[in-house]
Order: sequence, then C-alpha cells, then structure tokens
Amino acid sequence: MENYRIFDSELDKLAHKVKLMCSQVNHQVNDVILALNTNDLVLAKKVIANDEYINNLDVKIDKLCQKIFALQQPVASDLRYIISALKINNDLERIGDHAVSIAKRIEPLQEYEQLIQELGLELIGEKTKNIFSDVVELVNGHNLEFAEQITIKAQEIKEECREIASTMLTEMMHQSEIVVVAANILIIINLFERISGYSTNIAESISFVVNGEIIKHKK
Amino acid sequence: MIVEKIHTENMFLYYSGKMALNNISIQIPEKKVTAFIGPSGCGKSTFLRSLNRMNDLIDGVKIEGKVMIDSVNIYDKNIDVVNLRKKVGMVFQKSNPFAKSIYENIAYGPKINGINNKHQLDEIVETALKNAAIWDEVKDRLGDSALGLSGGQQQRLCIARTLAVNPEIVLMDEPASALDPLSTAKIEELIVQLKEHYTIVIVTHNMQQAARISDNTAFFYLGELIEYDKTRKIFTNPEKKQTEDYITGRFG
Repeated sequence: MENYRIFDSELDKLAHKVKLMCSQVNHQVNDVILALNTNDLVLAKKVIANDEYINNLDVKIDKLCQKIFALQQPVASDLRYIISALKINNDLERIGDHAVSIAKRIEPLQEYEQLIQELGLELIGEKTKNIFSDVVELVNGHNLEFAEQITIKAQEIKEECREIASTMLTEMMHQSEIVVVAANILIIINLFERISGYSTNIAESISFVVNGEIIKHKK
Repeated sequence: MIVEKIHTENMFLYYSGKMALNNISIQIPEKKVTAFIGPSGCGKSTFLRSLNRMNDLIDGVKIEGKVMIDSVNIYDKNIDVVNLRKKVGMVFQKSNPFAKSIYENIAYGPKINGINNKHQLDEIVETALKNAAIWDEVKDRLGDSALGLSGGQQQRLCIARTLAVNPEIVLMDEPASALDPLSTAKIEELIVQLKEHYTIVIVTHNMQQAARISDNTAFFYLGELIEYDKTRKIFTNPEKKQTEDYITGRFG
C-alpha cells in the first residue's frame, strides 16, 4: 500500500531542516553553558555570532512549511507533522535566542566565579544540556520515552531555578554590592528555566505528531 | 441533538453474485452532510444508490441486510419506490436538465405529483430556485431553455429540481466534479446551506471537498466501510492505517 509521492521529498527536506536546526541549537546550548562555566568570552562571542545561521534556518523552515501548506494541502499525520515542525522550529529559535542572551551576560559575571559555583549554576547548566540532548533524540527519532523524560527533567530544573532565585534575592537584600551581578544571574536562571520550558513544548509537539492528541496544559 | 436519519445494518450487495458491498453498518445523522470517500470501485456510489433503491434498475443486483430510513426498511415489500425517491432525492455527476424551459424543469416533478395550480407552481419554482442559490441568475429568463445555462448553473438547476419535490434526504454523486473551481465553490456553499433543512449524503473523489463541507466522513475500500467518523477526526488523526494512506495519497 506504500507509495512514493512527490510530496514525500518535501517532507524529507523539512524533516532534515528541523533536525539540522535542532542540532545547531544543541551546539549553541552546549557552547554557552561551557562558556559560562569556564568564563570563556571567545566562545560566548561565537555563540552570539552563530545565531544568524539559526535565524536564517528558522525562516527557511517557515517558508518550506508555508509552501507545503499552500501546494500540498497536507492531512492526517502529514498535517500534524507540519504543524508541529512550525512550532518546534519556533521553540528552537527561541532557545537559540536564549543561548545568545546568556552569552551576553557572561562578561559581567567575571570575578564572581565562586558565587556562581556556590549557587549551583553549573549544575543547572548540566541539567539543561542533558534535557536538550533528550530533545535532540526526540526530534530525530520520535521516541516518546524521551518526551516523558523531558517533562520530568524540566520540572526539576524549574524547581531548582526557583530555589536559586530565592537564595539570590536573600543575598541581594544583605549585600547591595552584588545587586548588578545578582540581577544578571537571576536573568540567566530565568533563561535556563525558559529553555527547559521550550523543551517541554517540543516534547508536546512530538507527542501530537505521534498520537494526534494535544497534551499541553494537561497536568 | 443528533437524530439518526439513515442507518444500515449488516448490509451486503451483490452484482450478479459478486460482492460489491461487504457488511456495511452505518448511522447517518439528520440535517448533516455526510461524505463518502474512497478509490474508484470501492463501493461508495453503489452504497449511495442503494439509499434510494437506484440499484433496483440494474439487473442481477441482490441486497441483504437492513437499509433503514426513519426506522423503516426501504427494501420491505410494501415500500412505494416512487414515494421513496421523492423523499430521497438524487443529484448526479453530470447535470442532466430536461430539454425544456428552466421553469418546466422545476415544475415537472410537482406537476407529476398532482400540483397544477399555476400560482402554487410559481411559488414552488421560485422557492426551489432560491434554495438552490440560482434564482437571481435565472429569474428574468425562466422561459429560456435550461440547456442554455452554464454547467455550474445546470447543476444548481438540477439541485433545485430535486428540492422542488420536497425531499428530506438529498444524495449527491460527485455533484461538482465536472465544474470549474468557481462553480464548485458555489455548489459547496449551497450544500452547506442545504443541511439546515435536508440530510445530505455526498460521494466525492475530491477529498478537500469532503473536508470542507462534510460533518462526517466514511471511507470505503474494496466494498467495506473501513472508517466512519467526524470529518475533522478523519482528516487530522484517522484511526485506521488504510484511511491514513488513502487521504494522504500513499495508497498504491
């Protein structure tokens, strides 16, 4: 019953681009975490520069989805895949932006390595890398076991980020001289939390592709 | 509330002993558009025609099981087929107006049914043409030959002719497949309007058309009803792989 369609080559092209986007954003996330952990300003600048490639790819994926919608009138699993590709692309692009935002905040954190270590920022970074490697697996293979893992891990990251934020706020009240650096740390924490949030969105989108059920906002 | 208009139970149809419909059980709701889709030869038109006994006209057709309309088996011996076809009208792929005036095309059915009052016929003709969304285009030339109308107009005239005998169900077999996109759009819009008063069952090869206008979609394959569900469900997340393969064009 299987039959090759011209449409399939368009879908293959789209799947290839989404996987490429995912892998590029994965590099950005890994690099920015490494740059943060090692105070590597050169690597931070590289992350900022690479964003343009991701933005271009984002537009290409959008255009390809538009073209498929307009010319192929996709239905059923094809329709679900293209809707999800658009959303996943959007989420990945936002994660890429967040990596850039973190990269831009590494310089003001110089000289505060000890504080960063004490707060456990490195651990959050590792967990974010870990959740994103699940995202890559999920996007490449549509194995929903990774989707479950992502949801669990995102919740953990969220809780830990909130804990760090609360510690930070207490410190700020006692040491006014750290307010500037603390504000940057709070922003970075928030960005990590957002990255894990977008990872959850991607997990939900892939679940929609596979099962056809919208699971977001369901607890 | 959804009221059931048509239902079949374990229905089989054979053409000279060869099975064309295999155990079809379906419930079709009142005042909704139900679309039948499937590849050529899947039995969808045969099934549609069995809903007003059009297959009776073909030699060697044998039907088993129940075909119920308003809870009455239309294949019962005491059923008056002429009355049945008044109640269950039909529109075909190729528009087939009579070689008469526009007015006479519409008035023909009511006249046969004994209505001869000119005033009453005028009213029926006007209402039918209005309901078929063609009144404005023909009201000034009701005496002209129907054959002078465009293809799309002829098809709407045929729909008006069907409506003139006041049916409850309208069966449509590929009603827009020979029309240009603009005429098709008019027919589709008309079908959606008609469901306010009529139960519509439509066979179409145009899946986007089924998606646009129907409430429920039934997918037939090799004489079997493979899947029947809300149109939205069929076109976003069908249950059966055969349905998925067909609507996505992966059917080889």
